[in-house]
Amino acid sequence: MDKLEQLSAAYDGELSSDELKSTLKDLSVSQEQKDTLHGFGIISDVMQRQPSKKTTSVTRLLDFIPASKPFLMNGLTAAATVLLTLSVIYFFEGNRFNADQESTMMLSSALGSEEAKQQLLNADQNIMEHMIHIMQSNDLHESQALSSSWIPVGYSSMQDKKNHFSNGKHHLYLHVEKENLGISKVRYLKANNHWVYLIPLKDGRLLTAYGDAPPIIAQSMIEKITRK
Amino acid sequence: MTEGHQDTLLVNEIKLGNTIAFEAMVLKYQPRLMSSLIGYTKSRDHSEELCQKTFIRVWQKIDTFRGDSALFTWIYRIAINLAKNDFASRQARTAKQTDSIDEAEHDIPQFTSPESTLIAEESAEQIFTFIQDLDQDIKTAFTLRESEGKTYEDIAIIMDCPIGTVRSRIFRARQLILEFMNQEDIYHG
Repeated sequence: MDKLEQLSAAYDGELSSDELKSTLKDLSVSQEQKDTLHGFGIISDVMQRQPSKKTTSVTRLLDFIPASKPFLMNGLTAAATVLLTLSVIYFFEGNRFNADQESTMMLSSALGSEEAKQQLLNADQNIMEHMIHIMQSNDLHESQALSSSWIPVGYSSMQDKKNHFSNGKHHLYLHVEKENLGISKVRYLKANNHWVYLIPLKDGRLLTAYGDAPPIIAQSMIEKITRK
Repeated sequence: MTEGHQDTLLVNEIKLGNTIAFEAMVLKYQPRLMSSLIGYTKSRDHSEELCQKTFIRVWQKIDTFRGDSALFTWIYRIAINLAKNDFASRQARTAKQTDSIDEAEHDIPQFTSPESTLIAEESAEQIFTFIQDLDQDIKTAFTLRESEGKTYEDIAIIMDCPIGTVRSRIFRARQLILEFMNQEDIYHG
């Protein structure tokens, strides 16, 4: 490892005791290293001063994930997290779910409004964890049995992919949770080209649909389910 | 290792009387402390004086640091207490400070106090913009470390790459930012 790279790791407290001693020994005789270390300190100061509107909310979502559950993070790349943090959660009543609202939502999503982001950041931890499970199709997060009446017209089950459905153009993954995680109204979230629909069922459970079907397509499915 | 424990080994070295470890700590935290103190005192000269006093006090009291909080939090608390006492002393127009530092009783290391480099807001804006344009992987690793305080291990899991790669990316980000600051006459390290 390069001396300055080692200094950078020392700065972050990421060296072993022996490595740190060796780095300090080098530092004691090198003005260049001292200046570099001070430079690192200045960079940290600048980063700490960064106003909240400029803070890259790369891992806000990951703050919801306990460190004791590393499996949650597997496969969830930082890039995906960025997309997720820039996405938008909206609350709506099923009967007011229309194309105009979809356009508004997409526009807001594109603009990445502060209000929208704040809604996401304030979202409940359980919901965040649930959505991460869903987006990873995590096997440890097993779904309860699906009702065939929930499957949208024209969609059929995908071979060797449990709970996955397709109409040839769009794909949906359905999951039922035994508790509604405090969700009383349908919520949906856009993450890149995919959507997560959180649909509270009348029996207290939560149906989640995840896929590339946009709201205009998912609308009839959601209305049908929420009417039941 | 959590964020609060990142300085454990460095602190252990300082407790053993390693003056280079102490100097490293000063180099690391002096910029942040200066910024914080200027925000508090609104005076650069006064802040520099308090900064110097704070680090002397840190050296004197390091044995009492138990690691319950992050090192910088502890340093900052000392600085603010000194600032408050200093302010009270000035208000009372008394020459005797209630929390004065008895330097005669302590062996104060001759540490290099770096010239306080205060980055102007416009320069900070330039740096933020530069960071935004960094390569995605480098920017992500660096931001996870600096803004979120994640450990290298956590970042490796998040980015699904080896720890060595995380270390290189974070260093590369710092290197590029320092080069940019040098090029833009913001800081010459």
